[in-house]
Amino acid sequence: MRARVSSLWRNLMQRNRVESELDDELQAYASLLADEKARMGASPDAARRAALIETGGMPQLKEEVRDAKAGIMLDTFWRDTRFGVRLLLRNPSFTVVAVLALALGIGATTIVFSIVNGVLLSGLPFPESERLAMVYIHFTPQNQEHGTMSIADYLDWKTQSHSFEEPSLYTNGGWGLFDLTGAGESEHVRATAVSAGFFSTLQVKPLLGRVFQRGEDSGSSPREVVLSEGLWRRHFGGRQDIVGQSIRLNTIPTTVVGIMPSSFRFTHDTDLWLNLRINPPTRRGPFPYIGVARLKPGVTMRQAQAEMDVIAQRVQRANPTSYSNLSFPVVSLRDAIVGKVRQSLLVILGGVFSLLLIAVVNVANLMLTRAASREREMAVRLSLGAGRSRLLRQLLVESTVLALVSGLLGLAVAFGGVQLLKAWNPGNLPRIETVHVNGTVLVFSLCISLLTGVLFGLVPALQASRSDLNTSLKEGSRSGTPGTARRRMQDALIVAEIALSLVLLASAGLLLRSFALLEGVNPGFQASPADLLTMRISIGGTKYREEASAIAFYQGLLDRVRSLPGVTSAAISDGLPPDRRADYDTFTVEGETWTQDSNPAVTVALTSSDYLRTLGIPLLGGRYFTEHDITGSELVTVISESMAKRYFGGRDPIGRRMKQSQPSLGNPWMRIVGVVGDVKYTGLDSSSEPAYYWSYKQNTSPMMYLTVRSTIAATLTPTIREAIRELDKDVTVTGVDTMENTMARSVAQPRFRTGLLAIFAALALMLAAIGIYGVVSYSVSQRTHEIGLRMALGAAQGSVLRMVVGQGLQLAGIGVTIGLVGAFIATRSLGALLFSVSPGDPVTFIGVSVLLAAIALGSSLLPAWRGSRIDPLVALRYE
Amino acid sequence: MPSTQTNLLQGTLDLLILKTLALDELHGLGISRRIEQITNGTFQVKPGSLFPALHRMEEAGWLSSSWGESENNRRAKYYRLTKAGRKQLETETEQWSKISIAIASALGAT
Repeated sequence: MRARVSSLWRNLMQRNRVESELDDELQAYASLLADEKARMGASPDAARRAALIETGGMPQLKEEVRDAKAGIMLDTFWRDTRFGVRLLLRNPSFTVVAVLALALGIGATTIVFSIVNGVLLSGLPFPESERLAMVYIHFTPQNQEHGTMSIADYLDWKTQSHSFEEPSLYTNGGWGLFDLTGAGESEHVRATAVSAGFFSTLQVKPLLGRVFQRGEDSGSSPREVVLSEGLWRRHFGGRQDIVGQSIRLNTIPTTVVGIMPSSFRFTHDTDLWLNLRINPPTRRGPFPYIGVARLKPGVTMRQAQAEMDVIAQRVQRANPTSYSNLSFPVVSLRDAIVGKVRQSLLVILGGVFSLLLIAVVNVANLMLTRAASREREMAVRLSLGAGRSRLLRQLLVESTVLALVSGLLGLAVAFGGVQLLKAWNPGNLPRIETVHVNGTVLVFSLCISLLTGVLFGLVPALQASRSDLNTSLKEGSRSGTPGTARRRMQDALIVAEIALSLVLLASAGLLLRSFALLEGVNPGFQASPADLLTMRISIGGTKYREEASAIAFYQGLLDRVRSLPGVTSAAISDGLPPDRRADYDTFTVEGETWTQDSNPAVTVALTSSDYLRTLGIPLLGGRYFTEHDITGSELVTVISESMAKRYFGGRDPIGRRMKQSQPSLGNPWMRIVGVVGDVKYTGLDSSSEPAYYWSYKQNTSPMMYLTVRSTIAATLTPTIREAIRELDKDVTVTGVDTMENTMARSVAQPRFRTGLLAIFAALALMLAAIGIYGVVSYSVSQRTHEIGLRMALGAAQGSVLRMVVGQGLQLAGIGVTIGLVGAFIATRSLGALLFSVSPGDPVTFIGVSVLLAAIALGSSLLPAWRGSRIDPLVALRYE
Repeated sequence: MPSTQTNLLQGTLDLLILKTLALDELHGLGISRRIEQITNGTFQVKPGSLFPALHRMEEAGWLSSSWGESENNRRAKYYRLTKAGRKQLETETEQWSKISIAIASALGAT
């Protein structure tokens, strides 16, 4: 066999060497012939001439040799292939079942792999992106794992660290909206402020002009802006001469220095980049910045982190009132972008591989069953002198043909699936645009097709070639008991299939349970989510700079919207459930001692007076806001239930006073007038969070959410847009959607992975059922004779039924036991993906075991029933 | 008898080559001379049919080859039977004797 493979290798890969070796051989022949003729008396010249004539035309001879060589390889291969195809066509039901099972398995695996390949494996679009790192901050009271930092933190980092080439900074989530005026209609644009080194750190090149240069981020730097290609084309019609000109942002003249191509995307979308103009900070705050930097060559993330830990200790010692538990997490850019979905995707990949394996096991089992009916064919061929390797090869060619056909079909499934997935992106996956069925994916798909072909072909092939000639011929001669070796092999395959299915089912079950719990989480408001329409209203930074004018605008907006037909109530707020947290800050309670650990940062929401009522946030004590809580009257606040329970020393908080931030900042006292239920502002999977509310009339923001409650909420969008446009055409309205959709979107990723895994598990269950059914019914048909004998000897139908079902259940029992052990180990990797369910959740484990056992029972009942109806007379004659 | 070589059945040539190599390894010319010798000059194998046959049989795994020195110090490629080749020789010998008996009896029948 090895000699054969190496000769094929020689023929295909080393054509030239083979040719020249043939030349040598013919030359040698000619000279030997000449020698011979010379010995017989010819002159050396005459001898050589005669020898050459006799050897014949060399090229023609070479042609013949080549044909002979290629012929034998291709010939057997073709014969095997043709024979295989013919066999597959002759047995269409087997072929269809096998091809469908495999095509589904290969297709699903290819889809998942193309996602993993695009999202996790393909390179980020920056040179040497593995050296790029994000730097965050973590401290109490902010308490975010990857929090945003202040300018003071950045300067400490920049001056003290040596691991990075050029620590840079950008504002997270945009610097907010700016009014772009002049040159065409005015527009609210999304802006990001960046330090001078931002673009050069990422090593990206502008489409036109230049990026910011070193030193252009000092307090005295001119105001400069780099436009995105999108904004440049949309607003400036792609005019090249815009570079170098001045545009007005919030009425302030700013010089355009360059245009970035649309291919450049960082962590969030933005219309333009402004240069940060850094003045020496007077305090530690505000905290809107994220660090990004390139590691110096040879420095690892770990080393950089170690250095940042030392810096964090130093900074904390110098600023004990601002920070405790300070650290600066260093995260690779890739992890920062795809870190959250990596585990989901790997779990899905594991799930789909299990499914593929189950499909392979199933087809292997079908092949084994079929091999039984071909046992005599094989035995006859062996006895006629066919080599075992020849039979092995033929069986492998057959299974490979099957696998390749399935692979082709699977690829079609994958093409369609990937297109669908990209259009829909049900999991809100980052970098979805990088998902393609490309060369890597094709190679992967081909490899798994071939591998599955070899896998499920090898089992019956080994079985067939190992089988003993004598017993095969004898066994096949009369259908007594089937080959025990093959029976054992089939049983083992079924057990493996059931065990794998159980692992998949348990994982899917855990995710399903945790998803059901997540969907059942009380978001904290009682209004029906379908009745709430929410949107973001941005009034811009210039027109309503006076607080009073902003309040007047919002008041006018609310009056207008409330008067629309069908609207029950309307409210504005700067935060919304389930995950649109507004601001957060520490607080001081009158009469309680203040430390950062006892008074951590909590959610602070600015709301109009009927926000709590519009969302139906339950009032637990005191009162809601009223229209009388306005600027100038006593400042009032409403707090959430868990805030009331945790920070007021067990006494009734109503009537007491509190204020924002730490005592030393001198914020005004606010009287607590009400206690309301907890609302989820940082995701449905977060714990109940303390929060306090105050009236927007006491403080306002240029960007607010409008919530409209109506039984016809979904249809109100155009009416409300029109109403806002009539009030002020420059106001930007974005993100209009019902609360129902928003909540569904907030759990899109868990829904995606849960859905996929549930589909895989359902398919696995189906395959397992088919597998058990096939094996049991095959064994019944093989034991027809035996069953007939038993019944002739007086066995009741019931006992035959029990015997056959017992066989199925026994296999299921072993499979479930092994599967439970496997599931227990495998589901530990789900840990972080689960919500209030533990990986070893007994309810799920018992549930899926029972389900699988029931499926096993069900799929062995039908063949068992058929077996018990066997007529002993017919059976005994049956061959 | 120059005409016999063209009429040489493929199977027959294979069998003759296998038989020739059963005793010892030989190079191309050696094989051809040996066949001539053991068939008393009935079959003369020319390179045009010898080499395709040798390479085909090597591909089929019956022969293996290696370069060596000839008796008068010339480089030549030597062929030798493999295990599969020996088996093949047995099978073909058996077949051939069946066929030859059958043909003989067919021709002998009146």
